Amino acid sequence: MEEGGVNVIDLTQGDESFVKELEGLGADELRECIQCGKCGATCPMALAGLEFFIKRIVHAANLGLRDVLLEDSSVWGCQSCNRCVEICPMDIKPYEVIQALRRAAIKVESCPANTYEGLRNLYKFGHAVFPKGFEERRKKAGLPEKPPTALSYDELRKKYQEVLKQTILEEIAPFPLD
Amino acid sequence: MKKIGFFLGCNIPFNRPDVEYSARYMLNELGVEIVELEGAACCPAFGTMPSVDLVGWAAASAWNLSIAEEKGVDIITGCGSCYGSLNEARYHMEKHPEIKEQVNKILGKVGKEYKGTVKVWNFINFLYEEIGLDNLKSKIKYNLNGLKCAVQTGCHNLWPSRAYPTNEDNTFYPTRLREICEAMGGVAPHYSTITDCCGMGALRSAASEKSLALFKKKLDVIKEELNPDVTVTGCSSCLLQFDAGQALLVEQKKLDYKIPALHIVQVAAIAMGADVEKATAQASIPLNGVITKIKGGN
Repeated sequence: MEEGGVNVIDLTQGDESFVKELEGLGADELRECIQCGKCGATCPMALAGLEFFIKRIVHAANLGLRDVLLEDSSVWGCQSCNRCVEICPMDIKPYEVIQALRRAAIKVESCPANTYEGLRNLYKFGHAVFPKGFEERRKKAGLPEKPPTALSYDELRKKYQEVLKQTILEEIAPFPLD
Repeated sequence: MKKIGFFLGCNIPFNRPDVEYSARYMLNELGVEIVELEGAACCPAFGTMPSVDLVGWAAASAWNLSIAEEKGVDIITGCGSCYGSLNEARYHMEKHPEIKEQVNKILGKVGKEYKGTVKVWNFINFLYEEIGLDNLKSKIKYNLNGLKCAVQTGCHNLWPSRAYPTNEDNTFYPTRLREICEAMGGVAPHYSTITDCCGMGALRSAASEKSLALFKKKLDVIKEELNPDVTVTGCSSCLLQFDAGQALLVEQKKLDYKIPALHIVQVAAIAMGADVEKATAQASIPLNGVITKIKGGN
C-alpha cells in the first residue's frame, strides 16, 4: 500500500486454484468464513500493527490472492497463538490457514531466511533453536554441557534424520540431507 | 513414586538452562522421578515442520512422543511451543487415523512406533492437578511472603483448548498460575491484559520493533495496574521476552523501569531451597529484591 493511499484489493488477481491448494494443505474449512472479524479482534499481529493480520489474511486467502499472500511477510509473523482458533464461530481454524499459506509459500521458496536456518538446525542438531554459547550457560546452571537429547546421542540423531528424510523436507530443503 | 518424562525442547536447555535446573530441583523436591527422554528432538517449533507439512510435523512430534511411550511415562514441558506443538500433532493424529498411519510408516523404518498413549503436560497444569496446591504448599521452605506476582500463562498453554488434555475453566480468564503463586504465599491479582501476547516468537523474528512495542504496552499496564515485585510466566518463550526483551527495551531507553521475571518452576525451586545462583543463572533483570523477599518468608 502506498503511503496515504487506500489499499484496494484487485479481485481480478484472484486465483481459484490457490484456494483449492490451501484447502488441500490444511485450510479445509476456509470457505466457511463469514468475515465476522472475531479473529482479527484477538490477533497479536493486529495489535502489533502488521498490515496483514489474521482477518485480512483469511479474506485474501478466500479470494485466492496468491501473489499478495506469498509476497507479504506477515504470514511469517503469526505467533501461532491459536486465539483465533479458539474464538472462531465458524470453525475455520484461522491459524491453520496460516500454516497452509506457509506450506504453499515454502514450496515456491517464498519464505524468510530464518525459516531455512531453523529447518537446517532441526535436521543437523535435532534442535531448531540452537544458539551459540549454550555449553557455558549450562555449566553456570550446574548442568552437563550437553542436554540428554538428540544432540547427545549420535545414533539416535541419525535415526531422527532418517525420519525427516522421509518427509517433504527431502524435496524442499535448500541444504543437503546427508 | 510418580514418574514423568522431562521434555526439554530447545530454548530451555540452550538459552535458559537455569529453568531446566529449577524444574529438576522442583520435581525432585516434590518426589517426582524424572525420566530422561534420551534422543528427544525439537517439538518441532511452529516455524519449522508445522509450516512445511502436516504429516512431516506429526512424524517429527511422534518421534518424541514415542520415546516417552517406550519408557511408559507421560511428558512434561516448560515451553509453551513444545506443549502446543506436541499436543496439536497428537490431536491431528487422533482425529485423522490416516495421518497416524502415514507417520507409523515413516517411524517404522527406524524401528519405532507411535501408539497414542502418552499425555503431554505443562508445569502449570501438572502442579495444579497432579501435585495439588495443598501438597505444593507443604513442600516449600520459604513462603513467598506476600510477593506480588503478575502472571503470564502463555498463549500455547491456553489455546487451542481442543488439543489439550486439561485446561483452565475459562481460557480467556486464566486463574491456575495465580492460584499456584498464591498457594506458595504470593499475591497474584488479575489484570486487564492478562491474556495479551508477550510478542515473543515469530512476531519477534519477523517484526522485532513491533513485537517489543506490543510487549511494552503489556508491561506498562502491568506496572500501572499491579506494580508487581515480579512477573511469573508458565512459558520459557514468555520468560525470554519478559527478561531479556525487557532488558533490551531498557537498553534502548524505551522503558524507564524494570520488573524482574521468573518462570514458575524457578519461583517454586527457590521457595523449596534451590541454589539461587543456579536457579537464576541467566536472568538479565536483577532479582535481589525478589530473592530477599522470598528468603524472608517461612
